[in-house]
Amino acid sequence: MTTLTSQRTAAVSLRGVSRVYGRGSAAVRAVDNVDLDFPRGGWTAVMGPSGSGKSTLLHCAAGLERVDAGRVLLGDTDITGTGDRELTELRRTRVGFVFQSFNLIGSLTAEQNVALPLRLAGRRPPKAEVRAVLAAVGLADRARHRPRELSGGQQQRVAIARAMVTRPEVLFADEPTGALDSTAARIVLDLMRAMADGAQSIVMVTHDPAAAARADAVVFLRDGRVVDRLTGARPGEVADRLVALER
Amino acid sequence: MIGMSRAGLAERWPLFIGAALTVSLGVALVQSSLLLLISAATFHAPAGLPVVERMRVEEGAEIAVALLGITLGFSAFLAIFVISSTFGFTVAQRRRDLALLRLVGASRGQVRRLLLGEAVLLGGFGAATGIPAGLALMALQTRLLRTLGFLPGAFTARWHDWIIGASIGTGVALAVAGVLVAARRAGRVRPLEALRDTGAAARVMTLGRWLSGLLFAGGAAAMVIVSPHAGPSGGQALAMNVAFCSALACAAFAPLLIPAVARLLPAGGVLGGLARANLRDGRRRSASVAAPVIVLTALVFGQLGAAGSFAAAGVAEQRRSTAADLVVESTGPISVRVPGVASASAESELPASLTTGSGEEAETDTVSVLVIDPAAYATAHPGGGSLGGLTGRAIAGGDGVSAGDTVRLRVAGVDLGTLPVVATTPQRISGGESLLLPAGLVPAALLADAPTRTFVTLASGADPAAARAALERRGRVLDVDDWLAADSAARDRTNARIFLIVLGLGALYALIGVVNSVVIAAAARRREFAAARAVGLTRSQVIRAALLESAAVTTAGLVLGAIAAAATFASVLAVTSAVTGRATLDLPWAQLAAIAAVAFVVTSLTSVWTSWSATRPAPVTLLGAGE
Repeated sequence: MTTLTSQRTAAVSLRGVSRVYGRGSAAVRAVDNVDLDFPRGGWTAVMGPSGSGKSTLLHCAAGLERVDAGRVLLGDTDITGTGDRELTELRRTRVGFVFQSFNLIGSLTAEQNVALPLRLAGRRPPKAEVRAVLAAVGLADRARHRPRELSGGQQQRVAIARAMVTRPEVLFADEPTGALDSTAARIVLDLMRAMADGAQSIVMVTHDPAAAARADAVVFLRDGRVVDRLTGARPGEVADRLVALER
Repeated sequence: MIGMSRAGLAERWPLFIGAALTVSLGVALVQSSLLLLISAATFHAPAGLPVVERMRVEEGAEIAVALLGITLGFSAFLAIFVISSTFGFTVAQRRRDLALLRLVGASRGQVRRLLLGEAVLLGGFGAATGIPAGLALMALQTRLLRTLGFLPGAFTARWHDWIIGASIGTGVALAVAGVLVAARRAGRVRPLEALRDTGAAARVMTLGRWLSGLLFAGGAAAMVIVSPHAGPSGGQALAMNVAFCSALACAAFAPLLIPAVARLLPAGGVLGGLARANLRDGRRRSASVAAPVIVLTALVFGQLGAAGSFAAAGVAEQRRSTAADLVVESTGPISVRVPGVASASAESELPASLTTGSGEEAETDTVSVLVIDPAAYATAHPGGGSLGGLTGRAIAGGDGVSAGDTVRLRVAGVDLGTLPVVATTPQRISGGESLLLPAGLVPAALLADAPTRTFVTLASGADPAAARAALERRGRVLDVDDWLAADSAARDRTNARIFLIVLGLGALYALIGVVNSVVIAAAARRREFAAARAVGLTRSQVIRAALLESAAVTTAGLVLGAIAAAATFASVLAVTSAVTGRATLDLPWAQLAAIAAVAFVVTSLTSVWTSWSATRPAPVTLLGAGE
């Protein structure tokens, strides 16, 4: 399943990764011995029924959660046992996050939220740079608004801008459209599609077949294991596959 | 990070009102107490006063200095306590935000600096408002010290320009000291916590909480054990301080103890059940709300109880050690050659300065000496030890000096030279006399002005009325029981004045703390309240459930505070038993009831107000996605 070429080009690789919650008879293998490559410059969707371990998989791949067994590689860097300092550095420079619940800082304006990762890294970004990123998500005129003055879709686009401002190698997205209405969701997915077409690596967890169908490839998870894979599928096919898994 | 700190404060300002107020009050009190303390310490009685009067004024100033010192320490302690519990609480409430910062690349150090930045801003704000408030407070405190008789009317506090720098430093130091623990905890928040809905997964009984709880409990236990062996004044001081340690220990263990106490409360109906479940679920929140109630109860109930018990023990002790029928109060010694008087002990009180040690180690104190006739004194005060050697140039010592020492004594400005200490007066819980001088040692001219009490024993078969009438011409005559009662009342008044100042201060801080934590708790619960309403509770039911919950937490706080005060009472029993031979406890139940009433009124009003304003928006606006 893993070839030498795919290893060289993978944005993130998981090698025999397991993550167990609880102990003894109550132990749950949320991720069970997974080998998986997320290709560089591609958009991969991770799908599965509730409790299939898709969010845990994403957290492990992004270095947010420690793994109990196996290795996690970000590009050529093994991040499996990395300390807090290095992981902080990683979050500032090489990975970006987008989540279902936007996770913007309520006390800061849109542009301050976007500039935050750079400010934390000790840079003072020129206003134009921040405005340009906001403009790229179509929110040039909302720079001075606070999150509560923005709609859900707008907040999510600010979150994407914040994740992209550091030009990360990989963008991790956990249910990015989960809290949005269909119009706002389409705008966000269009944005991500454009980013992927521009060779941005994206790993996205979703339970929405329409969202997954926009990705280049879909990986299906059940009980912590990779059980299926689809490339270039339409929403209907993705939905059928998902229903089959839940049976 | 300072920009982030500023934005954070601006966004959540209601959470920080209490802390800002505390810093401001702390700065004002420290500044005013410090200026007054320096002025009182360097205060000299105006020239032209009689020597005796001058020494009395200076003695009063010394008490004022001690009192101001206590005020200073007390306000710093309470300010740090309130600030640290505020920040500890806001960190718990802001876990998600802090985790989010970590997620977008903030290092642990940056999160810590964010909180320290907030503390510095808060400290600066506290200093800016505290310095002018301190000026007003100084006028108030001066007037208080004058009316309570600690300082003469001629006393004025001097302003020093450097105090502005000191006050800014105080504000920042108070805030930063209060935030240190919280900042460390904030630095340990993991990025992944941003993705969970609540920070409920956070452990409540952290290792630090266990350690500090055990440390303070151990400190309290050690003080209770040591206090009976520390002598009358040392034992009393230790007993008073037990309450500080036991209160902090109870506050630290509150997350474990509150659910246990809450289980004992009746829980009727759906609202009662909801309140109880909330209490169990939000242990961190309940503990934060209860902490100031615990400290308030423990300090006020514990210290008033200790002071009252020691006073009662002192009265009982003095009653046992006084054998007389009448007491005559006069200025200067009087003649008691009156028919029917069997014996009389004239005791004149004079201020003196006592130098112990010599050379480098010489130490001079202002003390009060009692000029007596040794034989008559021994008759009037049985059990006072042997005063046989007290003749000629010799004195008997109490606290601080012991038989065999040589001391140098100036009584009311007259140098008596060096004198041997030949006997030791027994230690008394009420302090007692520090030095006894035989009458021959002191010039008669000095004695003529000294306040004197004469303990008179009547001969058997004498006509009390006639003897009394004869004595009335020489001074004010009291039955010995009336005199004992009046004497203890006078002592109580002084104690009550000191407590009025110090405890009033403590109570004020604790009340700020109570209001503060209720406000913080409610601010974070808007969504929870909204969810309850979406399930079908009316707004008034939500408010009533919150009220029930706050009443339960207040009850738990009062119970835990009383338990903390009980540690002080254990020490009081041990000390009174060791010093007077009889364990004494006299508890201020009326004051406890007052504390309980104030605590319930304050928490209930704050709870209703905060839950009312938190439920003002329609529930649906709060239940939508997003922040």
